[in-house]
Amino acid sequence: MGTQVNVFIQALVNGIMIGGVYALIAVGLTLIFGVMDVVNFAHGEFVMVGMFTTYLLHILLTLDPTVSIILVIPIMFCVGVLIQRTLIVRVVGLPHESHILLTLGISVLLMNFTLLIMGADPHSIRTSYKFSSIQIGQILIMLPRFIAFSVAMVASAMLWMFLTWTEMGRGLRAVAEKPEVAILMGINPKKMHWLAFGISIALAGAAGTLVTPFRYIYPNVGQTYCLIAFVVVVLGGMGNIPGAILGAFVIGITESLTCQYVALDLSMLGPYIIFILVLLFKPTGILGKGKAY
Amino acid sequence: MATHRDTNVNRTRTVSLIVIAVVVLALPLFLSQRYLFRILINIFFFAALGSAWNIIGGYAGQLSHYNVAPWAGVLPGSILAALVAYFLGKLVLRLRGPYLALATLAFGEIVRILLLHFTNVTGGPLGVTIPFTGTNLWSLQFPTEHVNYCISLGLLALCIYVASRIHNSRMGYYLQAIKENQDAAENLGVPLARTKNLALVISAVLTAVMGGFYQIFMTYIDPYAVAGLHMSIEIILVAIIGGVGTVWGPVIGACILVPLMEASNFILGGGRAGASMLIYAVILIIVVLFSPKGLITLVPKLEGYRSE
Repeated sequence: MGTQVNVFIQALVNGIMIGGVYALIAVGLTLIFGVMDVVNFAHGEFVMVGMFTTYLLHILLTLDPTVSIILVIPIMFCVGVLIQRTLIVRVVGLPHESHILLTLGISVLLMNFTLLIMGADPHSIRTSYKFSSIQIGQILIMLPRFIAFSVAMVASAMLWMFLTWTEMGRGLRAVAEKPEVAILMGINPKKMHWLAFGISIALAGAAGTLVTPFRYIYPNVGQTYCLIAFVVVVLGGMGNIPGAILGAFVIGITESLTCQYVALDLSMLGPYIIFILVLLFKPTGILGKGKAY
Repeated sequence: MATHRDTNVNRTRTVSLIVIAVVVLALPLFLSQRYLFRILINIFFFAALGSAWNIIGGYAGQLSHYNVAPWAGVLPGSILAALVAYFLGKLVLRLRGPYLALATLAFGEIVRILLLHFTNVTGGPLGVTIPFTGTNLWSLQFPTEHVNYCISLGLLALCIYVASRIHNSRMGYYLQAIKENQDAAENLGVPLARTKNLALVISAVLTAVMGGFYQIFMTYIDPYAVAGLHMSIEIILVAIIGGVGTVWGPVIGACILVPLMEASNFILGGGRAGASMLIYAVILIIVVLFSPKGLITLVPKLEGYRSE
């Protein structure tokens, strides 16, 4: 009996750990949706780009992921701003179909560009602490996952503080809420758009860096993260940041429990089924605000 | 006056259609290389798939990923595809824009995960090799490229016929109204759910028939190739390049895209994985940004078939 409870708690803890990383990916996605009303189907690919950037930094400069995240965040911010100002800016305000098709194009472009340069083989980063773990009672927490979780939580908290307490953050929220009024208040929505996109992509890249110590790095890896991020965002209500964080933990835990109790290779089935149920019965998300029909 | 112009346009259109038909039918007599046959068959095939996608994705602007439908074609008969599409449609077609795309994407993923998990039925990632023990007509393999050519051409003709019938019918107007403004359409009495679901079922049945054919043509099928992103993108791209929501758009799209792909495979030697998809992506981005209505807008003769 005791071991069964332990197994359950262990699965729960694993779910919370990975949920933290999902939260970091999802808040960026929901931020873009809230501020720009753009649905970014390439979001997972930015996680992938973050992973490969970390990998290259590791190979070329032998940087540890915990160090290279300091470089990855500004790099990915610039990538995001660049893509926003050259491509995304042309479809802001157009019907969602154009966003979907454009970001799908960007997604396939990034995926196959990486495939062309880096090849399809999975890579991994060896760190000295790869197999270290923290033990609390009967529960084991792998150190890389714990680091990923903690850093992701700190980053999400920083985003929240930025949005709540700074002038720029208030500007972002104003544009998300009522762009017309924001303009009257002297806020430049275009500036807020690229700021939001840059932050969002930087967070996705940072999440990519955080998972490199325990996930394989390959060009198609982003697709899974993209769908997970969408599941999380819809669950929390599109454009709703606290909702996204809550949704991320729900999905992380569901994934972990399915993995533990159903089958290893069916681990994503649970989250997808929850996702479809939410779409059908509570499309505004658990915390409301979203609008599906 | 207007009637006169219309008959004139109609006559030109009929004449050009006949000319195209004669040329296309006579073409096999002058072709000897299997390779060219394959390209032509591929053009017909993708044009037909593009048309089928167009019915739900183009006319009605309901973006869905065709991850499920081609797989249904593997199972004997397209009745099953119709049923699957019907129930799927009942479930997800209430959703709008990105939500619809996401729901179908998630459905596709669920199917893919299950297919890969239950390896004893589908062969898992290894796929199923044809011939299999199906008893329907489609499991027959045809000896010559000529037969394949005729079948693919026939399927294309079928799709174009269905698409043009829909285009000029009440349903076509319903679908366009839904695309332009769903709320307004509903207020004017367009039966949203029924129209969208019917379009999805028609589209899925056509796709399933094509899926059955494709499996014969390729004599091999696997979850990655069929249910994968690659196929979805190719189909969507064919419709978008030509012109979304038009009868002839997908044909034009396939005529451009398929030879382009063959050429790029030839030049790049297929050695570098990802190169062809990279080109797709660039084309997709360029078309969405600079010619969202497709290349058909450049062809004034087909103006009559364009969605306004």
